[in-house]
Amino acid sequence: MRSRMPVAVLAALLTLSLLGPPARAQNALVVSVWGGNWKDTVEKVIGKAFTARTGIPVEYEVGGTIDRLAKARVAKGSPLVDLNFTTTHVARLYISDGLYAKLDMARLPNAREVAREALRSDFHIGSWAYVYTVVYRPDLVKEEITTWADLWKPSLRGKIAMPDFDPSHIITIAALMEGGNEVTWQKGEARLRQLKDSVAAFYSTDAQSQDLMKTGQGPVQVMLSVNAYHLQEQGIPVKVVQPADYPGIVGIDTMAVMAGSKKADAAHQFINLALSREIQAELVKALRAGPVHPGAAVPANLKGQPGIFLSAAEWKARGYIMNDEARAKNLPAWREWFTANIVKK
Amino acid sequence: MRLLLLPAVVVLAVFAAALAALFRWSVLEFVPGSLQTGGLTLGNFRAVLAPHYLGAIRDTVVLSALTTVLTLAGAYPVAYVLARTPSRRVRSALLVLTLAPFFTGAIVRTYAWVLVLGNTVIDWPVPLLFTERGVLVGLVHFSMPTMILVLAAALSHIDPVYERAAASLGASPARVFRRVTLPLSMPGVVSGGLIVFAWTLSAFPTPELLGGGRVKMIANVVKDLGLDSFNWPGAAAFAMLALALTLALLTVAGRLARARPS
Repeated sequence: MRSRMPVAVLAALLTLSLLGPPARAQNALVVSVWGGNWKDTVEKVIGKAFTARTGIPVEYEVGGTIDRLAKARVAKGSPLVDLNFTTTHVARLYISDGLYAKLDMARLPNAREVAREALRSDFHIGSWAYVYTVVYRPDLVKEEITTWADLWKPSLRGKIAMPDFDPSHIITIAALMEGGNEVTWQKGEARLRQLKDSVAAFYSTDAQSQDLMKTGQGPVQVMLSVNAYHLQEQGIPVKVVQPADYPGIVGIDTMAVMAGSKKADAAHQFINLALSREIQAELVKALRAGPVHPGAAVPANLKGQPGIFLSAAEWKARGYIMNDEARAKNLPAWREWFTANIVKK
Repeated sequence: MRLLLLPAVVVLAVFAAALAALFRWSVLEFVPGSLQTGGLTLGNFRAVLAPHYLGAIRDTVVLSALTTVLTLAGAYPVAYVLARTPSRRVRSALLVLTLAPFFTGAIVRTYAWVLVLGNTVIDWPVPLLFTERGVLVGLVHFSMPTMILVLAAALSHIDPVYERAAASLGASPARVFRRVTLPLSMPGVVSGGLIVFAWTLSAFPTPELLGGGRVKMIANVVKDLGLDSFNWPGAAAFAMLALALTLALLTVAGRLARARPS
């Protein structure tokens, strides 16, 4: 019996080794992106056009922000994907761990036309933008909300919902109101504490945020503009505020080539195509996000809306862009402080 | 024979490797803004002993204990009728009602509670949604089917002759229950209680959705640290702490439950 043991162990190991990642088409470009509407849009708008032009098929690895990051980390050196979409501050974590390859700007001629704000680093470049801003249901909240400062009105007590997975938006706004910024965020601490009793709920996913708005459990929110426009299309009467006192907090989703990818050339072609004026216009239509190409056509109903920036002046006047590195470094401390002082009753 | 043990050994080895990795992460220094870790440290354990993290542990233990007691109280009568009713129809109806929640996912069930506990359907006199009370309602509902089935199995193994004998000797129904039925069903009560207590300790979707970010249990804090703060060492340290506490609590609960009055 003993002599058979090594054979059995080998058989088990062989079986395990066969249970590897799913087989991919050999010449396919593998793109990592969030699921749902994000993946559908990237596939429909960029992927199909890319395959039509280059003949290279595209396959998708879908997942949440952090589980894709964790996968990339364990596959460091021989990545399972060639191109990655993620938020600009999470991209800093990829960069800090050497997971991204430096972009070859000579192979990205369309990058010369994009907004300066989209050029995030030598390793990652913006694909679209949005803002976190004040969104509310006028049918449930009778008074008009026009500024960030309105959130502090006693009449809104118990009506506000905001994200707890990333409180950086409201922390930065409170700091700006007190003459600070995301680096000197402590300046806004006292002001933030005044907001504690106004919060009805904290949400941890986009879906939860939309549900809170639909059911009226959180009729005033610090909300992603893209989600607000989505609710409007579903017939939910939400108003997206262009705050008169301080700008919305800009979020930029970015693209990057994975270090060690054997399809770096195709990945650059994909990024270059995504930055083109035509594809940018399609992305705006599908995602209701702001283009990074200032020349992209924008539907009339989105023009001038929060999160849609079409010129350098608009980027500057209507959006506040946090320092990516400061945000990535401060987020754990922000969450710790926010949980202890605002979330906990 | 030894060959037959191989699958178990492989599974145990995988679990042991995962636990070892968790322990390793828990003693690595967290570097904010980076995936790189520093040297060895016990600082993560000190950090997760902050009052709001300990509060989550306290809330978890209290909610788990209350869930166990309330589930037991609610499930026992249903299980009793299920085990003793002579009517096939009643038994079938109860079984369907008991098992129905199993056929809807945990997320769907919890979202349904969001609508019920919020003031959209019923105007509750006290706020329930996004409070400990609301989370407790969700946890009890989640645990009820399992508790009913465990108790019903235990009760169906008790020969009704014992109860009839006690009654024929003049014992009131309450006394029959207290002196005969309940003691004989204790194995089921203990098993059901331990199962519900153990899995409520690791509850995630119910507090996540019904707690509105205000009510955090252990699993929610681990997720917050690991996935939202990118603090994997902190998440690992908190998970190790919670694991040790869970094992200690289950050991104590098991010993108490097995203890027989002299």
